[in-house]
Amino acid sequence: MTNKAKKLTDGIAVVTGAGSGLGRALAIGLADSGMQVVGFGRRENALQETCDLIADGRFIPMVVDIADGVSVRRAFSKIRKLGDVTILINNAGVFPRRDCLDETAESFMQTVAINLGGTFACSRAALETMTETGVGRIINVSSFADIAPMPAAAAYSVSKGAGQILTRALVADLGDRFPGIVISTWMPGMLATDMGIPDGLPPQVSAGWGIKLALWHDPELNGVVFEQDSEILPPRSLKGRIKDKLLGRARKPRRIS
Amino acid sequence: MVDNASRKIWDVIVIGTGMGGGPIGRVLAQAGLSVLFLEKGPMGAPAEEQTLDSEVFDPVARQVRGYWPKPIKATINGRMSEFFAPIGAAVGGSSVFYAATLERPERRDIDSINTMPHPTGGWPVSYDEFLPYFTKTEQMFYVHGQEDPLYQDGPSNLIQPPETTPEDKAMKDGFKAKGLHPYHAHMAIKNMPECMQCLGKKCPHGGKMDGRSAGVMPALETGNAEIIDMCEVTALKGEAGSISHIIASRKGQTLTFRARCYVLAAGALSSPRLLLASASDEWPNGCANSSGLVGKNLMFHLNEMFAVFPKSDSNGPSKAIAMRDLYNDNQDRHGMMQAMGIDASYGEIVHYLNMMFDRSFLSRLKFLRQFTRIPAMIAIKIFGRAKIFVGLLEDLPYKENRVEFNADKPDEIQVHYRFTPELLQRRRSFRKRIKKAMRGQRSAFIGFQPELNFGHACGTVCFGSDPSSSVLDRNCRAHDVDNLYVVDSSFMPTSMGVNPSLMIAANALRVGDHIIVDLTGKEGQDRD
Repeated sequence: MTNKAKKLTDGIAVVTGAGSGLGRALAIGLADSGMQVVGFGRRENALQETCDLIADGRFIPMVVDIADGVSVRRAFSKIRKLGDVTILINNAGVFPRRDCLDETAESFMQTVAINLGGTFACSRAALETMTETGVGRIINVSSFADIAPMPAAAAYSVSKGAGQILTRALVADLGDRFPGIVISTWMPGMLATDMGIPDGLPPQVSAGWGIKLALWHDPELNGVVFEQDSEILPPRSLKGRIKDKLLGRARKPRRIS
Repeated sequence: MVDNASRKIWDVIVIGTGMGGGPIGRVLAQAGLSVLFLEKGPMGAPAEEQTLDSEVFDPVARQVRGYWPKPIKATINGRMSEFFAPIGAAVGGSSVFYAATLERPERRDIDSINTMPHPTGGWPVSYDEFLPYFTKTEQMFYVHGQEDPLYQDGPSNLIQPPETTPEDKAMKDGFKAKGLHPYHAHMAIKNMPECMQCLGKKCPHGGKMDGRSAGVMPALETGNAEIIDMCEVTALKGEAGSISHIIASRKGQTLTFRARCYVLAAGALSSPRLLLASASDEWPNGCANSSGLVGKNLMFHLNEMFAVFPKSDSNGPSKAIAMRDLYNDNQDRHGMMQAMGIDASYGEIVHYLNMMFDRSFLSRLKFLRQFTRIPAMIAIKIFGRAKIFVGLLEDLPYKENRVEFNADKPDEIQVHYRFTPELLQRRRSFRKRIKKAMRGQRSAFIGFQPELNFGHACGTVCFGSDPSSSVLDRNCRAHDVDNLYVVDSSFMPTSMGVNPSLMIAANALRVGDHIIVDLTGKEGQDRD
């Protein structure tokens, strides 16, 4: 290996679900900030539309089904020939509205395979390079769907909630060995996208925070959760909060500036 | 690859890849011999930088990190305890976690000298015979540091150390004012721009020189060597005076390997266990064990840890200060003092107290363990930003102190150790001397009970001239087995007053020269 990436901006950023909505906005923003971006998606036309919005050569579309481990591994070995992956934004996800009585075991697991399995597959493949260079940033895009699941959202809520646990589990395995590989969960907020709500935030606004978070390379951010531009601190027990107050150690949530 | 390695007859198989196995494999491969390394632990990813963390307890998680997976069982003064020892199981062995201290022993550690007779009458190989190999090791490991003002036989070829940090300078001035002789410790670290001074943790840049970076990696680069990781050798097989093949286990598979010559370098707690595990009709007491001494004469160092408060406010731990003022005290064999490379922070004190707790009689009352936090909080109030130093106290060989092999639990390290009155007497005098030397500076001992340094085990397959009182000959070849060598710290007849790393590597290079002559017929440069 020659010219190994020593900082995030030396390498390539991979954005999954780059054919629409937030993923497209993230890809455009990262490319604008000077990164070489590879965008994954299932629909070639949609990826091409993203590509047309970005200056020549800055964006490479790859048709990848992230639920398929083989397809993911193949894509990452192609990327390896171009350079070292330093940033991965696990953005792709599906949100099928379906009552649990209308789900089959298979349809339920298909959603989990994309939202959770795809996040793991891409992270695992990106870590091949990141554990060699010691430089990496993984952002798992998530939501609060797990706290109070809405009707007709069982598979989505479960897989998104599990995605947050995956962030913490990856940190448990890797945090002490590779402090330069920093993994965080990010909740972009309710967006005006196909998957979101009509009067939500424009995806470009939210993507602005996501990009700053992805380029923020601080080992302290390992395992943290951000909602939009602010850190969500882990819950503390009453006893813990009183102790923090007494010792003057109450933590302030960080903000993306 | 594993299948091919299994079919081939290698010139040399090296079992274990730490400070002994790594360097000997390198010189053998560079001499054109085919070398196969077999390593119990994993290769690991290049960017890893974990410390040796005894709080990780899951055996799989420990193995992945290159830690020895299981706790060791130690019966100390008749009381049994179980804890994780600071030993590695990874390519590079424990040395990937070491603090890169490569200090030369003194003449009295090896030879009998007028002012200080050696307790064993002296090693079978003299200090002067080791000297060229100390120099060679220092070159191979890019050792930097300052000459020790107290020690004439010290190295004169060291690389200029990086500029002393303000913290270290303040500490040194304090010691000098008390008439002590601090010098920049001798450290195996290449001075590289991105250097993070990976003392006590894996180095992701190849700058810290250890069994992996100075041994295995350059050996593999020759194209003459291969390595199989996650591969544990379970028995040496053979008859009469020679080994015919070895049995190993890898991911549930049983494998056989063959070579002309076998080099055992699994560490002083494991090499003897493999010899004992190889007991057969041919070798009823274990391989190479007609003396009955395999596993016996286990030694550690005693760690006398003390905190010293710098006079001025300073940040960052002292890392590179060493002193030999108390190395000898008339007839008493003490050892060197050196910076531990850590500040007395809250976390380290909790960790240290937890380790003490696990080895104490309270360990059965698990719920009490959390209360180590209270003395730790008090300690941090008192110690503040104290610098931690350690005095190494030499241990001497006693047959009752031993590592045992238990056929029912073949992968468990079982240690029996008793503090002798002789050792405790020297400890008292060493502590008295440390206290006196630190007088005038704010300082305090950490711990009251004698603390064994489980990272410095040695002596369990010792070399000597007499086959009835030693296991190996002067070239570290087994008296009983003509194609078996042992080159980890097991060979050492006494534990010396310094860290064992330099001696292990230097001896491995010395033995390497003998094996090269043996197998190629070509004269080694230092053949006698």
